[in-house]
Amino acid sequence: MSKYGAPDQERQLGLAAYLEGLEKWLASSPPSLAAAAAPLASFAARVEVMSALMKALHEEGWGRHGWPEALGGLGGTILHRAALWDTLARHGVRGMGLFEHVEILMPTLCALAPREFMIQALPAFLSGRELWCQGFSEPEAGSDLASLRTRASAVPGGYAIRGRKIWTSWATYARWCLLLARTGTPEARHRGVTALIVDLRSPGVSVSAIEQANGTDELAEVVFDDVFVPEDHVVGALDGGWDVAMHILSSERGTFAWFRHGFLYQQLFASLRHAEPHGDGAVGSALLDLAAVSATGYQGLLSHAAATPLGPRAAFTKLLLCEAERSVHDCILAGDADLAAGVQDEETALLRQEYLFSRIVTVYGGSQQMQLETIAKQLLRLP
Amino acid sequence: MSSEAEQAFLASAREALRRDPGIGAFAALGVWDLLDELADREARAATFAVFRAHGRELGRSAALGCLLAHPYSSALGFAPGSVALAIPRASVRRGDRLVLLGEPSLEHVLVDSPGVGASIVALEDVALQPVAIAGRLPVHEIAFAAEHAKPILPEERAKEARRRSRFLGRVAAAHEIVGAAEGALDLALAHAAARVQFGKPIGSFQAVRHLLAWARTDCAAALEVSRQAAALDLDAPSRFDEIAKALAGRNGRRICERSLQVLGGIGFTAEQDHHHFHSRVLALDSLLGTSAELTRGLGAWLRESRTDPRIPMRILHHGVGA
Repeated sequence: MSKYGAPDQERQLGLAAYLEGLEKWLASSPPSLAAAAAPLASFAARVEVMSALMKALHEEGWGRHGWPEALGGLGGTILHRAALWDTLARHGVRGMGLFEHVEILMPTLCALAPREFMIQALPAFLSGRELWCQGFSEPEAGSDLASLRTRASAVPGGYAIRGRKIWTSWATYARWCLLLARTGTPEARHRGVTALIVDLRSPGVSVSAIEQANGTDELAEVVFDDVFVPEDHVVGALDGGWDVAMHILSSERGTFAWFRHGFLYQQLFASLRHAEPHGDGAVGSALLDLAAVSATGYQGLLSHAAATPLGPRAAFTKLLLCEAERSVHDCILAGDADLAAGVQDEETALLRQEYLFSRIVTVYGGSQQMQLETIAKQLLRLP
Repeated sequence: MSSEAEQAFLASAREALRRDPGIGAFAALGVWDLLDELADREARAATFAVFRAHGRELGRSAALGCLLAHPYSSALGFAPGSVALAIPRASVRRGDRLVLLGEPSLEHVLVDSPGVGASIVALEDVALQPVAIAGRLPVHEIAFAAEHAKPILPEERAKEARRRSRFLGRVAAAHEIVGAAEGALDLALAHAAARVQFGKPIGSFQAVRHLLAWARTDCAAALEVSRQAAALDLDAPSRFDEIAKALAGRNGRRICERSLQVLGGIGFTAEQDHHHFHSRVLALDSLLGTSAELTRGLGAWLRESRTDPRIPMRILHHGVGA
């Protein structure tokens, strides 16, 4: 054990010992923790401090728990990762930022991507060196993802990609893109789609940031103009990309909510600074919304840890998370009209960004209406 | 209990309550034996599942009051199911009232007065004033002459029992609210599949589908939080019983309202069963802290105390191989 009770390089800790050791390390005030707890309005600055925190967590071993030993992790399950992010939230870290994709993409990639690739890619992401994005949506394929048109054509040794992706979170900062492209006919819909890993440094890739209404530029449009992807960068089976996408969406909708909600608790606590008694009902109601995410989200974690798929029930957690995002930010706004008035000091600017983002969370990862349809069709079996 | 075992137990509890919607079903299901084993997680899950079934089947028993009485009476040799706690409620019109839920087929009523202690009154000495039959659940307000109340626990010991009683009662009421709301939703689902308008079942219209999907989501949320409260029990953080009860009350009402909207006019008639489920949700929400009171109270508590209401990770992970 290192001086803070950090795990030996090859030793996996049980959950209780992991939590205890992690707390000890955080109590030693690592500089990367303080930096990640500061309110930073600049998205690029947030990427920098979070990358530094990921690096420190990886070096100390805390960031390697919950990931497969065969891919450079220290073993354990998603419960280790849940413990990590929950603890970081309690210590003031403001959010996962673009490391949300650690939880959205990596569980699927660890299960389905070529092992030789992941041995390099997982530690590179976990240590904050090489970041990822997810190339799903297209200008003409939003909720109707199966109509996507970006094409992967077979060429010697791999595929040539032509097409355009949009609303690609963090593409500006990413080295790798997990891309869904058409390998079959358009009529084959979801059966003719393949998932591929694209190096965004390849010739033919152009990434342009989209300036958002809340002032950040985490979204981007990515154009692929005959971009070569080697054949060993296919994830899952050829024409089996839909299964990969569903695997990922089950994380984005199900387990991810649990990782996110710890930060929402912190934001609700922060809102209490300006709270007045007339807002007690709204604060209590936000607390109920968070309890709902916590309970359903934890069931999602347990299902994931037991390798039993959550399936359409992930839609519950996704809807509940969106409700909590909104009610927590309603409380923040109710106590602090500075963010609505447009005050631009660092902290207020960040609160404003976050508040505005909470109004759009019902769109990403499958819109609220798509989640409701999933429940209506697959769980309620409505006609 | 695995989720299959839990489903099977719930189905048999519903079956037992269909045969006997009164207190007999609780004895038949072995609930009174389970009350002595509440330290066991599975015994708790089974006990509370019977309350969910009681809501779903519109049971008429005084079981909630019996559960509330258990922490007071168990040490004193009263047989479980023979005594029920009268639940205090503040009426804006008539001041403090004592409410007895379910068919009063009991021997004794337990009355707890904070600051004084708990006492017991024989049912024959109690004046029962029927106030309603909310969702087929008889509701009585009670009165009795002071000399008939026999003190059984001094305040010091009643205090402990009171805390435990409220926790168990709120978690059980939350389960029962979920069960009743599930009953309302089932009626609306059946209606959405059968009712044809514009040449199609109304369940094929997104406006209707989304109402029902929200109701199902609210069910999942209330059920999971209630089950979590039952699972954590003594390990639950402060006020977790209030969170579970407030959420069940709030969501239960929303589920009933959305279900009613799907049913349309027929749902607002006496012949349709919707109102039984709906009024049971309302009646249970009115006791042991309404969702409005509890929600406001939770907000005030956070604002004033800054207490962290979350379940610590080490407790969440306890029991899953931590």
